[in-house]
Amino acid sequence: MKRTGYLHDNRYILHDTGPHHPETSDRLLAVYEGIKEEGILEHLTMISASRADLKWIETVHDPVYIRRFEEICLSGHNTFDDPDNCISMDTYESAFLAVGGILDTVDLMMTDKIDNAFCAVRPPGHHAEKDKAMGFCYFNNIAITARYLQEKWGIEKVAIIDIDVHHGNGTQHIFEQDASVFYYSIHEHPSFAYPGTGRDFEVGTLGGHGFTKNSLVLPGQGDDVYYMLIQGDLMPAINKFEPEVILVSTGFDAHRDDEMSDIKVSTQCFSWMMQTIMDLGERHCDGRVISILEGGYSLQRLPELAGNHVKILLDS
Amino acid sequence: MFVSNHMKKTVITVDQDASVFEAQQLMAEKQIRHLPIVDAENRLLAIVTDRDIRSALPYTLLKGSHTDEEKAGLIDLKVKNIMTLDPKSISPMDTIQDALLLIQQHKVGAFPVINEKKELMGILSVRDLLSSFINVLNINEPGTLLCVLVEEKVGQLKKLVDTITEEGISFGSVLVNRHWEEDKRAVFIYLLTNNVVRVKKKITALGFSLLDPMSWYIDNLSQKE
Ligand SMILES: [Zn+2]
Repeated sequence: MKRTGYLHDNRYILHDTGPHHPETSDRLLAVYEGIKEEGILEHLTMISASRADLKWIETVHDPVYIRRFEEICLSGHNTFDDPDNCISMDTYESAFLAVGGILDTVDLMMTDKIDNAFCAVRPPGHHAEKDKAMGFCYFNNIAITARYLQEKWGIEKVAIIDIDVHHGNGTQHIFEQDASVFYYSIHEHPSFAYPGTGRDFEVGTLGGHGFTKNSLVLPGQGDDVYYMLIQGDLMPAINKFEPEVILVSTGFDAHRDDEMSDIKVSTQCFSWMMQTIMDLGERHCDGRVISILEGGYSLQRLPELAGNHVKILLDS
Repeated sequence: MFVSNHMKKTVITVDQDASVFEAQQLMAEKQIRHLPIVDAENRLLAIVTDRDIRSALPYTLLKGSHTDEEKAGLIDLKVKNIMTLDPKSISPMDTIQDALLLIQQHKVGAFPVINEKKELMGILSVRDLLSSFINVLNINEPGTLLCVLVEEKVGQLKKLVDTITEEGISFGSVLVNRHWEEDKRAVFIYLLTNNVVRVKKKITALGFSLLDPMSWYIDNLSQKE
């Protein structure tokens, strides 16, 4: 059994998106219930969050943007940059705690206290651009984590695997010129789904050419196409890149019961996908894998999906 | 949607007495495929395209495997020997729709844009048309596409627009395909949001059906075979 960290902090609930928003704090409670239900809580290293140091957030985000975010939260506005992005007074603090908790998790892994981890944070991050909030995301948690691994822990090559059903436009744009961070995303075709980026001809620019890879799934497609693309696109790309750490943008919104997408992935296929990622981690980076929560909105399905997910981390 | 808003206003022209080599070099340097030729009063006389040049030059020259002798023999070939006189042109007050239909009819890659005095005002290429349509479709903005099947009767689109407006969602674009099925239209609504769960439910509750994009994907596949 692996030493698996589980980042869970009640203060992530303080980010209040209002009554009709899909990205709610109930999601984290569903995740917790599912992990508890698996009977594995006692085997996990529980991690609670500390507040991130601003300097790490500034490795990715524009200082003017960060200030704008703080001011709009304090001013009592209820949206930021787009009507999709519902905020409350505490959103800014929650976003700092999300980043801080993940960076603490990285420290535990890099000092060999844990082998891998699941970070159940909100707000999510992969749509956040360096100077713009998008798609319920404010700070790009996973991008900051990659920079932190490089700058604090001297890791050279980080792979980010994004299995959220939406393309992680923010993450791709932040690293698209950078050959030291490989970004892979599998998502619903951008002509149908938010945010409209992540086409298969987007492969990185300048020095980062060849270090971005997008796999597209059409509305209505599911397991078969996922099996094919993960084996045909993701596995060879990671084997070629040989990362030292793998970060996973874990969204559960490709599930067939999740109304946020038209993609029909089964619970079993999610497990297979995570097992495949763990095998890649074992082969290339001593199992150093940190999974960070992005989307996933079906409160009925989140418990089983999160339970299985963490069980795979534990048994990998 | 007037041509004047979408055309390139700085036009690179070429002298009719220039050699074909010079014209070719100019195109390569500026990454363009069409060079209008004007008179001293900036009135449009002709146009020369990269295709005109390619068909005027022997194959060896294009491949770069020519001898200096061959090249010397062609140095006298001038733009005026190969240009198309009085080419098809459009006015700045024509619309983008006009230009689309004309391009389809005349199978050309660009139109010089001239005013009533025949003065050259700009040039509109297929590339400019494409970017104006990308703008109209709004696909550079983040959003989600809804595909709704609508019966052919009055007031249907209004219901959809009202429902989406009630939800406070901004429109990126709306496309209507009138020939979808017998008595049915397909409406493609691009919404500038990530959050379409509620609006989809409301639309279905009104009795509209959402198109399953996979079904037309499969239809297309079977047509190809
Ligand atoms: Zn998502």
